Amino acid sequence: MKPTIRNKLVGGFSAVLVLLTAVAGIGGYAVYSLKSSAYDATRVGSRLNAIAIEIQLHNLEAERRATKYMTALKASNGQGAQEGFLEEAAFEVHEIETLSAQAVTLAPSKEYRDKFEKVATAVADYKTALSHAVGLAKKDLNSAETKEAISSYEDAAEDLHETAEDGEAMGRKASEASLASIESTSGRSVTLVTVISLLGLALGSFVSFKLAHAILDPVEHLKTVAESVSLGNLDIAVRRYSGDEIGDLADSFSRMVTAVKFFRMEAEESLEAANAHGGDR
Amino acid sequence: MSAVSDRVTAICQPYFGPATSSFLARQCKSHLKIEVSDLTQAQCKELSKWIGVGAGLLMDQAKATEVAEKVARL
Repeated sequence: MKPTIRNKLVGGFSAVLVLLTAVAGIGGYAVYSLKSSAYDATRVGSRLNAIAIEIQLHNLEAERRATKYMTALKASNGQGAQEGFLEEAAFEVHEIETLSAQAVTLAPSKEYRDKFEKVATAVADYKTALSHAVGLAKKDLNSAETKEAISSYEDAAEDLHETAEDGEAMGRKASEASLASIESTSGRSVTLVTVISLLGLALGSFVSFKLAHAILDPVEHLKTVAESVSLGNLDIAVRRYSGDEIGDLADSFSRMVTAVKFFRMEAEESLEAANAHGGDR
Repeated sequence: MSAVSDRVTAICQPYFGPATSSFLARQCKSHLKIEVSDLTQAQCKELSKWIGVGAGLLMDQAKATEVAEKVARL
């Protein structure tokens, strides 16, 4: 394709357009990833926090039901236990198991996963200890073995309470980390968009500068040459700067200057010959 | 006009414009002692040398060499 002025302008403006589209695309992608990352971080942080609080509540409820069951068992001297309390405690324990499993799946890193796996282990121990204590209490409430089992159960309950508290702290930490992550992502996005915009601006300016020079330099040269020739100086070189219309114009002008020089030279020679001929007479 | 002189004129036209015929006539007459129309292939080499010299007085040397080489290649 011939590098005409029209083609140069079309090419230059297309390049600027492509550049602006790229800047807009990257900017859009940065905003989209910020939104997506902020959403993910907030969702995970908030959910872990909520799960940890729910675990605490179910833990308290489970302990309350188990305590009521034991109290009722003691009051009836092992005869009139209210199984409903035990079923309710089992339901609460089951809820804690489900929630801790969810938290392990959701946890964004090993640190968080380990904490919620400890809750799962603690709840399994609690369940075993409760079942063992209840089984022995039903047989003989006052035996040393039962007292030891109840004590083990209380330890397991305390352990579950502590691990659930740790889980809650991790949930809070996850929530705070999600905020920090949003801050960091938004900071990165702003930097990225700013850098890309500045880069686009610099490249756009460079393309415009080169385009303006590609068109104006040959025109300015031709203007200088035309002025010089019009003042009678034919010994000026006409340079062909480019292969476009201005280059063709420079060629035409060069041809014209060459012809004028030749005709002037011939005319001077004829004049000299005529003068010499006249002188001879 | 011979076919050779037509081709030489066509080569020189973009460089000398309206002065082409006069320029070639001058080179042929002064240096080869012939008319342009009598130009033969064998004389092209000699003519190209004089075209180079004559064109060098009228245009920049690169262009003069370029046109002389084109005629020499005929």
